[in-house]
Amino acid sequence: MVANRKYAVIDPATGKLDRRIFSDEATYDDEMAKIFGRAWLMIGHESLVPAVDDFFQTYMGEDPVILTRDGQGQLHALLNMCRHRGNRVCRVDDGNAKRFMCTYHGWTYRNDGALEYVPGEEQAYYNALDKPSLGLIEARVETYAGIVFATWAKDAPSLEAYLGDARWYLDTVFNRRDGGMQALGPMKWLEPVNWKTLVDNCSDNYHVPTSHLSSARVQTRWLGRPPLSHEDQFASPNRHAFVNGHSVTFRDADDNMPRYVHGVSKETFRLFREYHDVTIPEVERRLGTLRARRVQLGNHSIFPNGILGLRLALPRGPLKTEFWHFVLVERDAPEELKRVIRIGSQANNGAAGMFEQDDVDNWRQVTEASTRRVGRRHSQDLSMGLGHAGPRRDYPGLVSERYISENNQRLFYRRWEEFMNAESWADIPLDPITAHFDGTATMRS
Amino acid sequence: MKAKPARAAAPRPAMLTEQQMLWLELMQFYIGEAWLLDERKFKEWLDLFTDDVLYFMPRRKNVLRREMHRELTPLGDLAILEEDRRYLEMRVARLETGMAWAEDPPSRTRHLIGNLEVNPLENAEVEARTAFLVYRSHLETDHQLLSGCREDLLCRAEGRWKVRRRTIVLDANVLLDKNLSVFL
Repeated sequence: MVANRKYAVIDPATGKLDRRIFSDEATYDDEMAKIFGRAWLMIGHESLVPAVDDFFQTYMGEDPVILTRDGQGQLHALLNMCRHRGNRVCRVDDGNAKRFMCTYHGWTYRNDGALEYVPGEEQAYYNALDKPSLGLIEARVETYAGIVFATWAKDAPSLEAYLGDARWYLDTVFNRRDGGMQALGPMKWLEPVNWKTLVDNCSDNYHVPTSHLSSARVQTRWLGRPPLSHEDQFASPNRHAFVNGHSVTFRDADDNMPRYVHGVSKETFRLFREYHDVTIPEVERRLGTLRARRVQLGNHSIFPNGILGLRLALPRGPLKTEFWHFVLVERDAPEELKRVIRIGSQANNGAAGMFEQDDVDNWRQVTEASTRRVGRRHSQDLSMGLGHAGPRRDYPGLVSERYISENNQRLFYRRWEEFMNAESWADIPLDPITAHFDGTATMRS
Repeated sequence: MKAKPARAAAPRPAMLTEQQMLWLELMQFYIGEAWLLDERKFKEWLDLFTDDVLYFMPRRKNVLRREMHRELTPLGDLAILEEDRRYLEMRVARLETGMAWAEDPPSRTRHLIGNLEVNPLENAEVEARTAFLVYRSHLETDHQLLSGCREDLLCRAEGRWKVRRRTIVLDANVLLDKNLSVFL
């Protein structure tokens, strides 16, 4: 780690970005400590561990973590590392277990992290081992709408403060129904890209008519979905909003249309329409009229590495990212609708997804450009829409004038600088919560 | 090896059982399919599937030996692929737009299919299991070896074998390739 290194990578006046942050080893090491060691990180969903003693193996940055639900139903995020020598105490993806035994020497931990049993505690350790201090390292855990977050930072603010007014938008997808959502997945694969390229892409709707035209065209023809064009996007009433590092794009149209989700086609539209009409009173009660009928979250990222819902960009060195793709469906939706959303999501996203497969070489070459002797001297240009964003009445965050803008990307890298230059959480600014959270929905219900 | 005489003697009556003939027929089917894929004749490849096909690739989890029944995710969970004919047609049509960037320029693939086992069913359909090694080379130096098995349900349609249901099981937990843009 580079002590007191100061990062100035994005020029707010010109939108020039120093591309070396995509491959520099020292920068990456700093990111692991100052971003992934501090931020609230999405690690899973309550529905992945629905019953007492369920567990799910996940990651906080590069560190393997076990998300457990203990005998009392309490959630824990436990570093998957035996306190003796460092072997993992769990090698499976998920399951149900009261205890985790290290396969090296047999140290055994309860699923709340406490060290319960050590072979030879009396004979080999002379009863001198301080077992209470040798539980699995535990992170702080909080949930939002069933999504589980964890942080290593004792001085981190509450998750509610961390999400801040971004939640005003996030609620319109994640917090609509009383019954909440359930997570399916993850599908996992390794992409040869820097983790930031995927996050920054979440607000990049500019790429869609170029990168994804082939998929959009066949979906128009086979599924009857609307055609995709630059012109439509430039004229779109959608906007960007940015709060506390979280990038939001949102639709803003009072047309009482079913929410966009994967799987919509001319045949399935009826299902979405009926579901919308049946549930809208409940959604209006939970979110208020403006958010229930008008505002609709689109592509978004949750700082640092949550991508389009519960999907994770897990850093694996500066040039590699393990990507985890989940699908979230509303638990109380009809089974047929869940099936349509699941299949539609898988057809579009994931390693084999028609849309997502066309992204990877772009991000990979953006990443690699930062390693090249000549290329890395030349900055990225993120100047689109400079000076065309600001506060907007009733809509929290810094809101762009247009849908196609690099406002969120510039702000993402500025947020990145704020984390990288901070000594502690005390140096990291948080926007105050000012939005009107109409309706009954809260962080946890 | 001795050269064979130009004119072979009258063919001997086949001494093959029906099961062996079926095996030969399906082995030929799978070899033909592999060539279609490697020669990028995807529309002809699509003709090998019925209209009601399910093309399914579950996820494969790390679970303990005593929980092997949970290793493959069931239909209904999130899969890597859960495609009907229409989605397969879209995937093939996409390649012809000239803008399917994951496969334009296209991958170089080699499908090696073997270990065929056939199991005829009462209703004249056949279960067939094969193992595959698929090598993919893409752009300059990207390459990947995909290993796994396929469990097919085949039926006779239009005078030929067609696949009604294909379950592809990859020998991987975290996929190591940048994307899965080739057909298996």
